[in-house]
Amino acid sequence: MPSSTEPIGPGQSPNVPRFRARFERWNRKLHFYAGLFLLFFIWLFAFSGLLLNHPTWTFAEFWTSREETNYQRDITVPSADVKGDLAQAHDILKQLKIEGEIMWTTTRTDPNQFDFQVRRPGHFFFIKADLAQKHVTVRQAEVNQWGVIKALHTFTGVQMDDPRNSRDWALTSLWAFSMDAVAAGLILMVLSSLCMWFDLPQKRVPGAVVLALGSLICGLFCVGLRWLF
Amino acid sequence: MYLGLFISPFVLVFAISVFFLVHSWLPRIASETSTTRVVSDLPLSGDLQMLSGRALIDALKPALEKADVPGEVGFVRHMVKEEKLIIPVTIPGRDTTVSISIASREATIVTRETGLAAALVTLHKSPGQHGPDIRMNWFYMRAWRWMADATVYLILFISVSGIYLWYVLRAERSVGLILLFAGALSFFGMAYALIH
Repeated sequence: MPSSTEPIGPGQSPNVPRFRARFERWNRKLHFYAGLFLLFFIWLFAFSGLLLNHPTWTFAEFWTSREETNYQRDITVPSADVKGDLAQAHDILKQLKIEGEIMWTTTRTDPNQFDFQVRRPGHFFFIKADLAQKHVTVRQAEVNQWGVIKALHTFTGVQMDDPRNSRDWALTSLWAFSMDAVAAGLILMVLSSLCMWFDLPQKRVPGAVVLALGSLICGLFCVGLRWLF
Repeated sequence: MYLGLFISPFVLVFAISVFFLVHSWLPRIASETSTTRVVSDLPLSGDLQMLSGRALIDALKPALEKADVPGEVGFVRHMVKEEKLIIPVTIPGRDTTVSISIASREATIVTRETGLAAALVTLHKSPGQHGPDIRMNWFYMRAWRWMADATVYLILFISVSGIYLWYVLRAERSVGLILLFAGALSFFGMAYALIH
């Protein structure tokens, strides 16, 4: 029995070469399959994008309603063979049993004073280590589900304008990979939908008008504004 | 289908820029160009040094118009000692820094053409979650927010209609369910591991 996703309609004729028919069938299948697999990712990034676009929506406020705890711990100073800020930070985090993405927000001037942040969606750790006194002060902030949703949208471990920060947590890399996969999946779905539209001759003209209008408006923002102003 | 066709270029903008943002990398298709010019006799209001936020941006608009610097104004830095204002102005693909000397009413304008990839990144991140009181001070960026919002609403609508279209295809139901389940497992598994 042929699959229900096989193209049916005036675009299909017995003369259509077999490879083209096969391409059309698999194009439809892949469109469905990619969409279904990525559905929850797409919903998350779409919805969180909307929230990020509207920072004035008070119901999604998270930082002002955060819960903070402060504590101090004695630590063993990282040994001499633990070289570099990143390795030292990992050593301290292991002792504190904290996991997450390390963020460098200050420049280290005093070798005995070591400040850094650790983040993962919903959790912020502000760590101040005094290596001379062998203790650390940790300020931990926990945010609500809106904060988690927004953080998942932007949790890449890197910043475009700050080369100091690079991904150093395996789960950040995994999440960044999933962001790439969702983006690639969306591109694939857009291209496959264009193929499916083009296979419908009666809808080619109105579709082309709508697509041209969308491309024109989008192109205005991407390149047109620079030409106009 | 027509709604999908209309938003497809916007979806591509958001999807392509993800690669640049995730990998903190911008392809240099053409070399960045930078120009510097000086504009004098700017119309500056007397209470400029007392203002901040949106009021300051609104007060600076006539000066920026005279200097022929259109675009979205970012966070203005006020260097009190030097009596200077540093104003970043952005058009997707172009970053301009206007340094205004309040005493001499003179502006030094540095314009950098950053290219298409940077434009996509700017659009992806606009308006952004920071500084809501000053953001969207240029009509075209307000219009972009409407388009970005429309893209999200249409994606949500199209995905729901897509689920319905898949569900009525009996032959694809079992494979689709497996993929939907696998996707849900990957998503919630990863989210759980990140959060807990």
